[in-house]
Amino acid sequence: MPVIVNPEDLAKNQIFLILTSPGNTRERNIEIIKELSALGYRSVVITTNFPYSVLRKLYEQGGVDLTKVSFIDAVTRHSFGSAENIPGIVRYVSNPANLTDMGIAVTEVLKEHHDGKVCILYDSISTLLIYLSSPNISKFIHFVTNKLRIMDISGVFLAVEKGLDPMLMTQLTTFVDTVIDAE
Amino acid sequence: MAKPEADTTGCIEAGILENALVMIIVLDHTGTILAWNHAAETITGYRRDEVAGKRDVWKQLYPDKDYRQEITARIATILSAKQYFENLETTIRTRSGSSRIILWNTKEVVQDGNARAVAVGIDVTEQRQTDNFRTSIIENAHILIAVLDHGKVLVWNKAAETITGYTRDQVIGKRDIWKQLYPDEEYRRAVTRQITEIIAKNRFFENFETRIVTRSGQKKILSWNTRRIGTEGTLQDITIGLDITARKQAEEALLSYMTEMAMRLKGPVEIIRDNLTDVAKLIREGKLEPDEIAMVLDGQVRNADQIAHNVKEFQREISMKNKEIPAAYRKFLEGE
Repeated sequence: MPVIVNPEDLAKNQIFLILTSPGNTRERNIEIIKELSALGYRSVVITTNFPYSVLRKLYEQGGVDLTKVSFIDAVTRHSFGSAENIPGIVRYVSNPANLTDMGIAVTEVLKEHHDGKVCILYDSISTLLIYLSSPNISKFIHFVTNKLRIMDISGVFLAVEKGLDPMLMTQLTTFVDTVIDAE
Repeated sequence: MAKPEADTTGCIEAGILENALVMIIVLDHTGTILAWNHAAETITGYRRDEVAGKRDVWKQLYPDKDYRQEITARIATILSAKQYFENLETTIRTRSGSSRIILWNTKEVVQDGNARAVAVGIDVTEQRQTDNFRTSIIENAHILIAVLDHGKVLVWNKAAETITGYTRDQVIGKRDIWKQLYPDEEYRRAVTRQITEIIAKNRFFENFETRIVTRSGQKKILSWNTRRIGTEGTLQDITIGLDITARKQAEEALLSYMTEMAMRLKGPVEIIRDNLTDVAKLIREGKLEPDEIAMVLDGQVRNADQIAHNVKEFQREISMKNKEIPAAYRKFLEGE
């Protein structure tokens, strides 16, 4: 299977925007996590689409080594009201629109795993569009990418291809190092 | 030999006096009317035999005492400085009761050693009515109208004042209004270049859009149309500017609305569709338990709820941005 993210670019702590075809995002998510694990990275998955419990199961079924994955889950509390954080494994955010909580969660999870090779996977910018306007998304992604650069951590942002307007796409392109079309 | 010449001259003068299409009135130094031509009869309705040798026709022509006094005072003021007056405009009341606007010019002459005042009155009623009508149209138009003579502003209507913030006192007779409306030198040059190119090709321009800066610093978008009037040597440009700022904002809002709608509604609906397709696939493959399926479906319900909320937000936003939306549609869009 072809490599989605170039390991050399990843080693340079680059930030990637990966565009997937509709209906393919979950499969690409699992493939990227497996690639990252194989390269010795701890993945911090920010999920705005599938709840942690479901995603964990799908990862297991997909052969992902879960000891190398942490989650920031913006779905579960939004749908069910409450869920307890599991230190080092999952941190819940009230809803995908709560960027303050999301920012704090990202900062804290990155601190927890600052020692080894870490990569953030954001799944997905397209789902975030349900909850936030494009200017707010742009600001948030700018905040996260800045944080990643300061902490020398690489990151992967997933989005459905053709789902972003030209203005947002241009802005995101300037925040990341590489745009990958991974249909 | 001299007498027949004098007779001939007298006949010619009498002919001119009678056949002139303007009022010609001759008065002596006391104001007594000595001559009252045919045009004066026609315009005022008073016959020569009714006014000749008398001084009281003015009371009939100016029956309003206050107005008569005002006119008398104005004439006295003019005559105190010089022996004649030019282009004095008054409104007379004719015998039939209608009003006519007369433009008066006088000249003092000496005839047989006696001082005579010759008053020439031109009936400019129709011309003034046309002027007033034209002025009224220009003044009451909701579009900027300016008339330019080689760049010098001759006319600057009320709408021009309202749109730009510059009053006619600040603009009339000057050429520098464009520097104020286009303070950015580079932009002004670009606009001037474009106008020059268009004029060179067509001698006028239509729907030419520019961004002006008003006196208060507000930015507005105007659509300009021009026409050149007159002949060589007396060429003037009529410039009409329509303020299309609101329309442009509405268009931009609509474009922004459509783009955001496409991205935040069409895209997310497709995400829900793809997620549901994915869930169906996972169910068929037996990879999810019922409570896990319910969790994913609940998440999609939340997403759908949020999309419905977004639609309402978009409707409200577009309604607020676009002032031109009719009230009934505005209420509908605002969800009332």
